[in-house]
Amino acid sequence: MKFKVTENENISTVFLNGEIDMDIADNVREVIFPLIDSGKEVHLNMKDVQYMDSSGISVIVESNQRAKEKNTKVELKEVSQPVEKVLAMARKFL
Amino acid sequence: MSTESTNQNNLSEKKDFLVRSSSLKDVRNFSREVFEKFKINEDLREELVLAIAEAAQNIVKHAYRDFPDTQDRMAVRISCSDKELEIAFFDKGKPVEKSKVKHRAIDDVKPGGLGTFFIQEIMDSIKFKEGDKPWINNLVLTKKL
Repeated sequence: MKFKVTENENISTVFLNGEIDMDIADNVREVIFPLIDSGKEVHLNMKDVQYMDSSGISVIVESNQRAKEKNTKVELKEVSQPVEKVLAMARKFL
Repeated sequence: MSTESTNQNNLSEKKDFLVRSSSLKDVRNFSREVFEKFKINEDLREELVLAIAEAAQNIVKHAYRDFPDTQDRMAVRISCSDKELEIAFFDKGKPVEKSKVKHRAIDDVKPGGLGTFFIQEIMDSIKFKEGDKPWINNLVLTKKL
């Protein structure tokens, strides 16, 4: 699966889409982690994500931790309703 | 997909899947089809799909951790009566150690265990049983409707 990535000065925006599960999570990491490692601020646009499970949450948590180590940050943008529901449930836990 | 019984008050559908992460999308699609057929409340459907997918993911990740290329199959059975939904999982992987099936302490920021937390949040009960042959594990989730 390929994800569109746009660049604007020091911000890279990754447009995630479809269903983010265990099968897709490593593909997402392969796109996001090199951007973080290059020191860029990374925005994850989630408007076209129809489903996300704990594997997707893991990617977000790992991305945040990695960004802190690299003195940059990861932000979620235009979070879809299904993703917001899962994030709300995850916030009770994390 | 096999229909086990279809009397008016007790519906049941069962399907088996190859144990691997690429099957999780098929598990979700099966669940969505069944919930539509059973006319489960739409607000509840995606939560239930998430619980089912997390349980199936646990089979792939934990019961078959050492056998990523297995040709074994896991089965998912969704049964519905007037008042309760029961979702049963069957696999032939490593026996579940019940004491290890728990979500983590709240102050541990690693995400591991989140899937089990989601299942606990969404479902009313979780029971691990020994599976009847040929199955090794039988996980049963229930939700009052």
